Amino acid sequence: MRWKYFLVWSALSAGSAWAADPVAVDWSKIPTVNVPLFFPAQSSYEWLRSDAHKGGAKEVKRGDACTSCHDQSDEERDLGTKLVEGGALEPTPVKGKNSFVDLKVQAAYDTKNAYFRFQWKTQNAFPGSEHQYLRFDGKEWKIYGYPKLDQVVREGKQPGIYEDRMSMMIDDGKVAGFAQQGCWLTCHDGARDMANVFTKEQVAANPLLQAIKKNDVRKYLPATRIDPSDWKTGKPVEEIAKIKAAGGFVDLIQWRAHRSHAVGMADDGYVLEFRNSDAGKDMFGSNADKETHSPKFMWDAKKVGYKSITAEQLRKGNHFLIREKNAVPFDPNAGWKEGDMVPDYILSREDAKGSAADNNAIANWKDGMWTVVIIRPLGLANNDDKALKEGGVYNVGFAVHDDNITTRGHHVSFVRTLGIGTKADIRAVKLP
Amino acid sequence: MKHRILASMLIAFSTAVFISSQAVATPADADAATALAKRNGCFKCHAVDKAKKGPSYQKISAKYKGKPDGESQVIKNFTTGPKVKMDDGTEEEHKIIDTKNPKEIKNLANWILAQ
Repeated sequence: MRWKYFLVWSALSAGSAWAADPVAVDWSKIPTVNVPLFFPAQSSYEWLRSDAHKGGAKEVKRGDACTSCHDQSDEERDLGTKLVEGGALEPTPVKGKNSFVDLKVQAAYDTKNAYFRFQWKTQNAFPGSEHQYLRFDGKEWKIYGYPKLDQVVREGKQPGIYEDRMSMMIDDGKVAGFAQQGCWLTCHDGARDMANVFTKEQVAANPLLQAIKKNDVRKYLPATRIDPSDWKTGKPVEEIAKIKAAGGFVDLIQWRAHRSHAVGMADDGYVLEFRNSDAGKDMFGSNADKETHSPKFMWDAKKVGYKSITAEQLRKGNHFLIREKNAVPFDPNAGWKEGDMVPDYILSREDAKGSAADNNAIANWKDGMWTVVIIRPLGLANNDDKALKEGGVYNVGFAVHDDNITTRGHHVSFVRTLGIGTKADIRAVKLP
Repeated sequence: MKHRILASMLIAFSTAVFISSQAVATPADADAATALAKRNGCFKCHAVDKAKKGPSYQKISAKYKGKPDGESQVIKNFTTGPKVKMDDGTEEEHKIIDTKNPKEIKNLANWILAQ
């Protein structure tokens, strides 16, 4: 019960910076656009241009829109149903996974912010607000819970535990091809859980990833590679900086049911040569000490009545560890027993800073449905943001991660247009 | 009297033409035809009322409907894989649908001709 109050308080206290209170907006007066999302499996930028994409490779290469072929009313449902079952594009199908998500989108704005309201039904009869834990095995602390595509979960050695997400990619027309092919420009072979996944040795030998201090392969835009279909051919960082300065990146806003929801926010990132966080500090960070891997923080028993939980308490209540609200520094001598668990991430609204802390959010899960409102300030001037402005039209893509999964395990949309007070697939309505 | 006879003849002629045109194309089972087309990815290149990579079904219908070999020409296109001209001027082999059932094939052709 205490947590329910906390969440309301958190949302409302953050609301002081908003011109309109999204809780009070009469959303019944804002048009709803149904955006079907489907499971894409490993249909990467490279696969779409290969002969395996029968009848479509030539068209994709010349820049045609996905919907120039895939435009039937139930197209997304059919594609998702086909792909989720497994096959050449889905080597490790997740048993019982839903193939399709019916996302409802509404948009509004006032003088300060844009408000995006999303609703979708979850596969499970509980909100996916749990995330990975650090579990004491009697000797040391180890990660407990993994996304469902991971081998340890598929083999039954670990439970599937991963937060739900609602993501939104925004292009202001400066990324060639995004208006036609949307998120598929960013999704490549070699990335995590994709075909020909990277090896540690390849990453260690890669000049670009070493220069930007990354140890895996994630989303990137074609313009950042000499050969867009080969992640290993990164351009020099100076050249990539020029692309960024010219606005050749897409914004990526992600509402996370654990790591941002608990503090009334959505994270703020962008995709260019990698899936980057915006400058500043995210609202979440690792709770594991780099050297010992033991936790940095534990729950404050004086405030919440416990310092840790066990697996039996999963899905029973909100298990958020928030630095300024309910956390104290980890005490290694607190009588830890095998099976004790604390969250693998420490969250903080107070510590979130800079461009990474631009987006607020409020959310509620009820009767099997998430309702999420993301609040995005208009006219952001940071060099890692797409500035939304009245009269502007943007290309947008949406994704939902549902049921303890990450990477390709999401459901995605074909690209749509968003107009701030102007005609588009999704028109943001000006609030009185 | 002359006018009445002329009118009767006209009605009789129109009815005959109507009956004859009905007899040429068997009424199509639209659900079965679209299910077959969908299963074979036909709608990736064709739409009923707009040109995509391939011509609209309405345009195909306008070309072949009423012609003695119209139905067989339509069937030939999706059962033998002839070279067809794409919207960009290139040529590709037309996809061959995955059924050999004459009733299904005829039904799809008639559905196309009915657009």
